[in-house]
Amino acid sequence: MSVDRVPEKPLPEGDKPGLISSLKQMPTRIYHSIFRYRPVPQNELEQAQAVADNFFFHIHSAKVRERSLKLKTTFGLGMLTLNVFLILCATGVLLMFYYVPSPDEAYERMQDLNGAVFFGRFLRNVHRWAAEAMVVLAVLHMMRVFLTGAHKSPREWNWVLGVVLLLLTLFMSFTGYLLPWDQLAYWAVTVGTAIAKYAPLIGEDLRYVLLGADEVGGEALIRFYVLHVAVLPAIMFALIGWHFWRIRKDGGLARPTTPQKNEVTPVTPDEQPEYDRFPKTEGKTYGLMAVIPIRTPQTGADVEKQVHSWPSALGRELVLFVITLLALSLAAIVWDAPLEGPADPSHPPNPAKAPWYFLGLQEMVAYDAFWGGIGIPTIFVLLAFVAPYLERRKGGEGVWFHPSRSAANWTFLSIMLLLTVLTIIGTFFRGENWDFVVPW
Amino acid sequence: MNRLEHLEDDRAGAVKKTRRSFISWFSVGALAVCAGVMTLFNLIFLKPRVSQGAASKFRIGKPENYASGSVVEMKEAKVVVRRDGNRIAAISTICTHLGCTVNSTDVGFECPCHGSIYDLQGDVVAGPAPEPLAWYRVGLTPSGELEIDKQSVVDAGTYLEVEA
Repeated sequence: MSVDRVPEKPLPEGDKPGLISSLKQMPTRIYHSIFRYRPVPQNELEQAQAVADNFFFHIHSAKVRERSLKLKTTFGLGMLTLNVFLILCATGVLLMFYYVPSPDEAYERMQDLNGAVFFGRFLRNVHRWAAEAMVVLAVLHMMRVFLTGAHKSPREWNWVLGVVLLLLTLFMSFTGYLLPWDQLAYWAVTVGTAIAKYAPLIGEDLRYVLLGADEVGGEALIRFYVLHVAVLPAIMFALIGWHFWRIRKDGGLARPTTPQKNEVTPVTPDEQPEYDRFPKTEGKTYGLMAVIPIRTPQTGADVEKQVHSWPSALGRELVLFVITLLALSLAAIVWDAPLEGPADPSHPPNPAKAPWYFLGLQEMVAYDAFWGGIGIPTIFVLLAFVAPYLERRKGGEGVWFHPSRSAANWTFLSIMLLLTVLTIIGTFFRGENWDFVVPW
Repeated sequence: MNRLEHLEDDRAGAVKKTRRSFISWFSVGALAVCAGVMTLFNLIFLKPRVSQGAASKFRIGKPENYASGSVVEMKEAKVVVRRDGNRIAAISTICTHLGCTVNSTDVGFECPCHGSIYDLQGDVVAGPAPEPLAWYRVGLTPSGELEIDKQSVVDAGTYLEVEA
């Protein structure tokens, strides 16, 4: 088969072509100086090239397993989280053009965004709902990974990276919470940072360094702003890159050792190999493949069905992105991001609540300050970090609720359920003086 | 002869190796120390030595402005000034639970956020607060004004004696 590749066009040697014909060539030359291949691949080779030779796509392999693209394998949760993160970056940078991190101006800027700036309210709403969505999606993604055993060897480190990213997401969301400088922001951060104070030894210092003062004020605002717009996004970009790179290096998505019937192309009978390819007879000289200490090439095994990343994976990713953008836009049109009265340090609301994803924590703090605020959360975070290293044998990779993993899965689900219930109680069932109330 | 030469070579190699590895370990160590010191200094840099917010020491006027038995709540400064006969004290209104501002009542203090209740001494009566409210040092300036120092926490029940 002759390869129908877009030819690179070197400048012609010898006779100089005419000026006019040269100019006529210019658009084509400019195009080919930017794009190395034709815009839409025409054959399989070009499909592979489109992915492997493209700066933006080359994090993909040229081909992916059909299984990886099935919705129920991942529900696209990791990709959705990334999409939301990218949307947060874009809207966040736009909001930065109007925002001023000062107690005197921040709140007015919020009102400006809501009323005076064209598209400002929409962008702020998208940013707010995307931030909430990212916390939820990251947790759901984590649950998918655990419940399909995808954190097991050799993917342990990528799980750890994921836990770090989840914590960064929470911190990112928390630092962003303060920026509107309204009552909600002020008291949520007052309460949230007060929880940090309960950490033994470093608690007081941690809170002081975070706030830059004894109380939430202008210093805290500038610190949270810098963390929110520069430090944390930079760290997250790097770690997200590492997280994605490791997916490929760890061999793609987790999958069972023996693929399902419908996931493979069976080898045809005349391709059946002789199973005793390397009979160990006396005096026989073995080929290299028989003696080197690695797995032999999998001849004879059924071939897993694969498709080209272009367009199968990229197309699905585009669809996911459009869905994300659409959902967030709709949410932003229907619901306004909350904005209460300007921050007033002398009038705490009753009850004062931390951001919703910390309300499970606050609920526990109400029972016992140290164990609820620091002890138990630390244990949970440590458990999350070591979870893949507690796994003792292979099995269950890539299968939802694999029977051999039921103990681990139930433990994990119980912890998640406990946190969810505590968060729901803290959010809906706590009223004045943190008394138990029924929301209806 | 040949074997001896080899031995010589090996010994020379060993010396070389030790020197080379010493230099590399030394360099790595020096780099690590530099990085460690830089990190430490950067962390200390982040801890402000001068606080930028409201001054922690502030004057609240002459003692005679406060009648005996009066309780004055200063919302901005987050303190309550109490005069009891000839004695004056300042008690923090920052809840020790999660940092909300408590309200002064006839029998003590109440936190509106999570329901902690303190008595007049600032001791916890009910609720999740783990510690009593802080008492701050009250002093007299040369001009005869009262001065509260929020940096200096004193034992509960420490009053400043003033002239009647």
